[in-house]
Amino acid sequence: MFEPRRIDDELWEIPIGRVAGMRVPALLFADADLLAAIAQDRSLEQLANVATLPGIVDAALAMPDIHQGYGFPVGGVAATDASDGVVSPGGVGYDINCGVRLLALPLAHDELRGDRHQRLVHELSRRVPVGTGGRGAHEGLKGANLERVLSLGPRALLEDLGIGSDTELALTESGGRLDGADPSAVSARARERGAGQIGTLGSGNHFLELQRVEAVYEADAAEAFGLRVGQLTVLIHSGSRGLGHQVCTDFVKRMDGRLAHHGIELPDRQLSCAPLDSADGRDYLKAMAAAANFAWANRAALAHRVRESVEAVLGHGAAAGTRQVYDVAHNVAKLEEHGGRAVCVHRKGATRAFPPGHPEIPPEYAAAGQPVFIPGSMGTSSFVLAGRPGAMERSFGTTCHGAGRRMSRTAVRQTVDGRELRRQLEARGIVVRAPSARGLAEEAPAAYKDVDRVVEIVERAGLAARVARLRPIGVVKG
Amino acid sequence: MTYRWVDHTAEVELEIESGSERGVLEDALLALAELLATENPGRPQELRSVVAEAADRPALLAAWIEELAFLAESEGFVATRLVDLDLAENTASATVAGVLDAPPPLVKAVTYHRLSFERHGERYVARVVLDV
Repeated sequence: MFEPRRIDDELWEIPIGRVAGMRVPALLFADADLLAAIAQDRSLEQLANVATLPGIVDAALAMPDIHQGYGFPVGGVAATDASDGVVSPGGVGYDINCGVRLLALPLAHDELRGDRHQRLVHELSRRVPVGTGGRGAHEGLKGANLERVLSLGPRALLEDLGIGSDTELALTESGGRLDGADPSAVSARARERGAGQIGTLGSGNHFLELQRVEAVYEADAAEAFGLRVGQLTVLIHSGSRGLGHQVCTDFVKRMDGRLAHHGIELPDRQLSCAPLDSADGRDYLKAMAAAANFAWANRAALAHRVRESVEAVLGHGAAAGTRQVYDVAHNVAKLEEHGGRAVCVHRKGATRAFPPGHPEIPPEYAAAGQPVFIPGSMGTSSFVLAGRPGAMERSFGTTCHGAGRRMSRTAVRQTVDGRELRRQLEARGIVVRAPSARGLAEEAPAAYKDVDRVVEIVERAGLAARVARLRPIGVVKG
Repeated sequence: MTYRWVDHTAEVELEIESGSERGVLEDALLALAELLATENPGRPQELRSVVAEAADRPALLAAWIEELAFLAESEGFVATRLVDLDLAENTASATVAGVLDAPPPLVKAVTYHRLSFERHGERYVARVVLDV
């Protein structure tokens, strides 16, 4: 039923009509091999369902790392007309502004002599709380003012606690703050769930990864990003923690109850949505922006803890010289202009990838394009990409966000033993710290698609270009 | 006990079949207890009140699991037994027994994706996808 037809070497189409109510076609960036893997789950059905959203523009889009989610597929993109379209909380996801921040250390891999490699990963695991509920979940940054964080994002940590810098704010997507954030739109339960979680990693696929730059593909862009072969980097993957999850829960429920009022029919309740110009839509955008600001503050606090770890093991100079390359969101809805039209771009497991010269790129990266970070898995490479003009022409300024799962958690646990996986990774020089063998197994490299293939597709499609490849040498799992 | 976990690429999908609506909610509690179980036998049992509200039965099932998951996340309370349940059209009010524990960080949200809770002949069949 969902066999897409080939448009070109990297693009496939599910025509209007495959699901009742489709308003636009669905388009998928992939090659034949990736498509075969993607077709194993409900991703394509979910993508076609997205095409039913009122006001959706051009097409429902999917990146090559697409996999089955809930409502929207992970790796999905939908732009809705700002004048008569909707906003869908499920199109952003529960972990609002889940994203990644890359830090570059002023050291080369071969400077981690003796036991410093092991000690650095251990120190990172000791200073960064992991997990969801209970112990470890609420050991966040002391003194953070939640109201100010929801309004201002990481700027609140800079002004109140001296954490971060103006430079880091400038090197964060949207400056680390979405306009229109309103803390009063965030429920009491969301606040309760988020209390004490600023500076905590979370669980599931969240991680800290210590890496070395293994290869550089575009020398000028790498130089602009401050990356050179052999250099140490730290990739931080986390989001808005319990607060973001509750914001999404609250608004999926609220909008689900108001669909009839707005005259909207959907194939899946998780796609629940409301017109952008309705009170329901506006309130969601206010709360979502607040949660996104919380997530940026969370990653800023995590970066602070990384620097503390670096200082404890490698000294003050190394910590002071650790610079933020950039910070990007994977789950967010933003009002942007594309093709002369104002739209609300939902990116659910997808990354903004603006090309060189775009006004929202920091001046130091203007010639290179916006940095994009694509985590692989614990045992495989991650990539630094840069946005390219094709993203503006084909995907509302968007590219992929990771390798994309291909196996369920249950399936991977049946084939991978967490303790054995840890031994294998450590035999390859990757120091692992994880709270449970089960959780480690669920995030095994075998659970994910081939990240090299995913990145190759987005590059061939002109959405983003490879700048550097990062090889993991230490992993702290959430 | 008639629930089963269904394969889902990234999340956890629960299917329940029971002879009564109460049975569906009870099985959901037992399934969550299985998911959150740790090996701490002998902990004293405690009681908690749980109230879930929603516009229809599928949403009520989601709200019920949300409340149980919130107890686990906020207090470390894992409900293991349904003591009593008052089930009205839009509300489930219950007393549940359980233990204070350190449940693993598993359930972050209860989704509405493919959410269902329907009567099929003499049986009730429900499905819910959990974000983990």
